[in-house]
Amino acid sequence: MDTAPYRRLAARSWALPWLLGVAGAVGALLFWTLMAFWLKGGGGVISRLPTPLTVGADLVEYAKGTLWRDLAASLQVFLVGWILGSVGAAAAGLAIGQSKTIGAIFGPIVEALRPVSSIVWVPLAVVWFGFGFTSKVFLVGLAVFLVVIIYAIDGARRIPADLDRTATMLGMTPLQRFRALVLPGALTQVLVGARVALMSGWGTVIVAELVAADYGLGARLIAVQQSYDVAAVMASMVCFGLAGFVMNAIFSRFEHWALPWRFHGGAQ
Amino acid sequence: MTDRTRISRVVLALLGVAIVVAVWQGMISYYGLQRIVLPTPVEVASTLGGLFVSQSFWHDVLVSLREFVLGYVIGGVLGIVVGTIIGERPAIRMVIGPVIEALRFIVPFAWIPLTVLWFGTSLTGKVVLVAYAVFFVMVVTTARSIATVDPTLSRVGTMLGMRPLAIAFKVHLRAAAPGIASGAKAAAALGWIAVVAAEYIGASAGLGVMITNASMSLATATVIGGMVVIGVIGAVVSWLVGYAARVWLNY
Amino acid sequence: MPELTTVPKPRTNPSSAPSEGNPEQGLSFERISHAYVAANGRTPVLDNVTFSVMPGQVACVVGPSGCGKSTLLGLAAGFIRPTAGVTRWKGNPVESGANPDLGMAFQQPGLFPWMTVRQNVAVGLTTRGAARGDARRRADEMLATVGLAGFGDAYPNQLSGGMAQRVGIARALALRPKLLLMDEPFASVDAFTRLKLQAEFKALLKLDRPTVLFVTHDVSEAILLGDIIIVMSARPASVEKIIPITREDRDRAGPGYARKMTETLKALGVETDLSHD
Repeated sequence: MDTAPYRRLAARSWALPWLLGVAGAVGALLFWTLMAFWLKGGGGVISRLPTPLTVGADLVEYAKGTLWRDLAASLQVFLVGWILGSVGAAAAGLAIGQSKTIGAIFGPIVEALRPVSSIVWVPLAVVWFGFGFTSKVFLVGLAVFLVVIIYAIDGARRIPADLDRTATMLGMTPLQRFRALVLPGALTQVLVGARVALMSGWGTVIVAELVAADYGLGARLIAVQQSYDVAAVMASMVCFGLAGFVMNAIFSRFEHWALPWRFHGGAQ
Repeated sequence: MTDRTRISRVVLALLGVAIVVAVWQGMISYYGLQRIVLPTPVEVASTLGGLFVSQSFWHDVLVSLREFVLGYVIGGVLGIVVGTIIGERPAIRMVIGPVIEALRFIVPFAWIPLTVLWFGTSLTGKVVLVAYAVFFVMVVTTARSIATVDPTLSRVGTMLGMRPLAIAFKVHLRAAAPGIASGAKAAAALGWIAVVAAEYIGASAGLGVMITNASMSLATATVIGGMVVIGVIGAVVSWLVGYAARVWLNY
Repeated sequence: MPELTTVPKPRTNPSSAPSEGNPEQGLSFERISHAYVAANGRTPVLDNVTFSVMPGQVACVVGPSGCGKSTLLGLAAGFIRPTAGVTRWKGNPVESGANPDLGMAFQQPGLFPWMTVRQNVAVGLTTRGAARGDARRRADEMLATVGLAGFGDAYPNQLSGGMAQRVGIARALALRPKLLLMDEPFASVDAFTRLKLQAEFKALLKLDRPTVLFVTHDVSEAILLGDIIIVMSARPASVEKIIPITREDRDRAGPGYARKMTETLKALGVETDLSHD
C-alpha cells in the first residue's frame, strides 16, 4: 500500500487523524439519530430505536442510581475469577511447560479443551453451583484460565538458549535456575496473557450475569430488556463497554510500567 | 520426531485421558455424587448415543447450524468488503477507526438482549448477532491485512499496467488472503459461541435451548453430552475453515 | 501490442553508445529536489538533480547508500512526485499511474506469491492484452535468458533471493519496455551468475535499445553496462559527475577501463590507491 500521499497529508496537519476520527464519531451519532427518527413510524423489524440523547439521559440516571452498585458487583465477580484463573493457569502452565512428562500427559487435554469457550460450560455451572457468585466466578476463572494457560506454557518452556547456557556455565542448581530464569520468563508471559484474557473474562462476566440474572451489570441488562426499555438496554451496553475500556487502559499502563522492555520500538 | 517418541507421546496422552476419566469416576464413587451432579462417563456416553437417534436433537443441531452459517457468510462477506475499502483508503480508516474501536469493547454477547428485544427469539436475531460478531472480526482483520501488504507489490501492479481497482482486488486482496484466512478462522469460533450463548439466553429452538432445558431439569448427562457436541461442532467448523484456507492458499 | 513470437532484428547501429537521438524522446530530470515527509520531519534526499538520458542510452547511477538512487527510479516511474522540479519522459512530465512504455525491476523482487514463476513473468503481458499462449511462451523465453529455464512452475517462496530477483528482471524485460528502470538488479546474485547475467543483459539491450536507468553500487558493472555513469553525492544527493563510457572502456584489460574506474571512484570520494601502507 503506497501510503506516501497520506503520510504527507498527515505530517502536514498532525490534527488530521483526530479531525477525521471526531468527524466519524459525530457522523455515526448523527446517523444513529436519523435512523431513530426514521424508524419511529414503525419502520420494520427494529421497532424501537432511541436517540443517542435518550440513551445518554438514561445513562446519567443510571449513574445517579444503581450503576455503581451493579458495576461493583460485576467487577467483584470479574476480579476474583480473573485472579484465580491467572494463578491457576500460571501454576498449571509452569508444570506443563517445565516437566516433559506432565506436559505429555496433560498437554493434549488442555489443547483439546482450550478452544471450547467457557461459555459452553454455563449450563453445567448452573447445575453445579446454581445461580450465584461461585457459578459466575467459576465461569470467568475458566475463561481466563483457558487463555492464560497458553501463554504460561509458552513462557515456562521458552528459555533463550544463551541464558540457559549461561546458567549452566555459572553452575546454577535447578532451583536457582527456576527462580532466576524460568519464573521471570513465565510470569512475564502470564502477565501478557492476563491482559489478553481481560476482554474474554469481562465478556464471560456478562454472559454469566445474563444467565444468572441476580445482580450486576448483566443482570440489570436482562431486567431492562424484559421491561422493553430499549434506551436502558443500550445504556447498560455502553456501561459495559466503558468499563471494559477503562480496565484495558489501566492494565495497559500497568503492563507498560511492569514490562517496559516489551514496548521499545512500539510493536507488541 | 522418532517413532519411539511419537508412540510415547500418544501413550502419555492416552494416560492423561485415562487419569481424567479415572478421577472423574473416582470422585463420583468416593464422594457418592448423585447422577445429577456428575454422571459417570458411561452414562454420558449412553446419553449421547440416545441423543444421536433423537429427531428433536438433530432438529436443534440444524437450527443452530443454520443460524451460524447464515450469519457467518453474511458477516464474513460484508466484513471483507468493508475491510478492503477501509484498508485501501487510509482516510476512511481514520474516520471509521475510532467508532470501531469504541464498539469493540461492547462484546457481541452484550448485544444479545438487544437482539432479543428487536427480533424476539426467532432465527433472524441469532443471524444478526452472528453476522455482527463475524463482521467485526473480519473488518478489523481484513483492513489490517490489506494495509500491511508489501508496498512493492502495489508498485509492481502499477508498473505492469493494472488499474487501481484491479490492483485492489487482484493484488492487495490476494496478498492479504493469508491474514484474512486466519481472521476467518477466529471469526468462525466466535460466531459459533455467539449462537450458543444467544440460545442460552433467548431462543425457542437450537442446541443452546436443548442444553438449557436439560440444565433446568438437572439432566446433567444431557448437559455434558450437549457440551461435547458443541465443542465437537466448533472444532469441526474451525477445521473446515482452516482446510478451505489451506486448499485455496496452497502456495 | 508487442510482437511476441518473432525474434526482432537487432537494430543496426555503428557505435555502441548511441549519441544521436532526440533528447526530447528520452528521460530527463530537471532541477529535481525531493524530500520525504514523515511525522517526525522532512528528510531531503535529492538536491537540484539535473541530467538527461538519451533514447536508447544506458545510464548507470552510482553513489553512496541511501543517497536517493532508488528515489530517482521512483520519480522516473511516476510513483513519486518530486517536491520540486520536473521529470520528463518523451518530453512530457511523468504522471502517476501506469506508463505503457515502462518496465521496472525493483530492489525487492515483488513477485506475487500466489502465482507461479511463469505466471509472474507473463502477467504484465496479459494485462496489456497479449494472448495467454503467447505470454506463456514469452515468459519461458525470458526465464531461459536469466538462467531459470526449469523453474516456470515453481512458486516464489521456493526461490532464493537471487532467483526471485532474476524473475523480477525477466518480468520487466518480457514487456519489451521502451523505458527500463533497474534497481540494483544483480545485487543478490553470486559473482559468477552476475557476470553471465550482465552479458545476457547487454545482448538483450541490443535488440530493442530501450532507454535504461540502472542503479548499481558496483562501479565495474556500471562501466560494463553503461553508456554514461551518473555519480551521485551523499544525501541530499546532487549529480557529482557524469562520466561517458566508450566501447573501448569496456575491455577490462584495457587502459580505458582503469581510467574510467579511477575517475568514478575519485568522484565518489573513494581511495583508489591502496598500494602504499
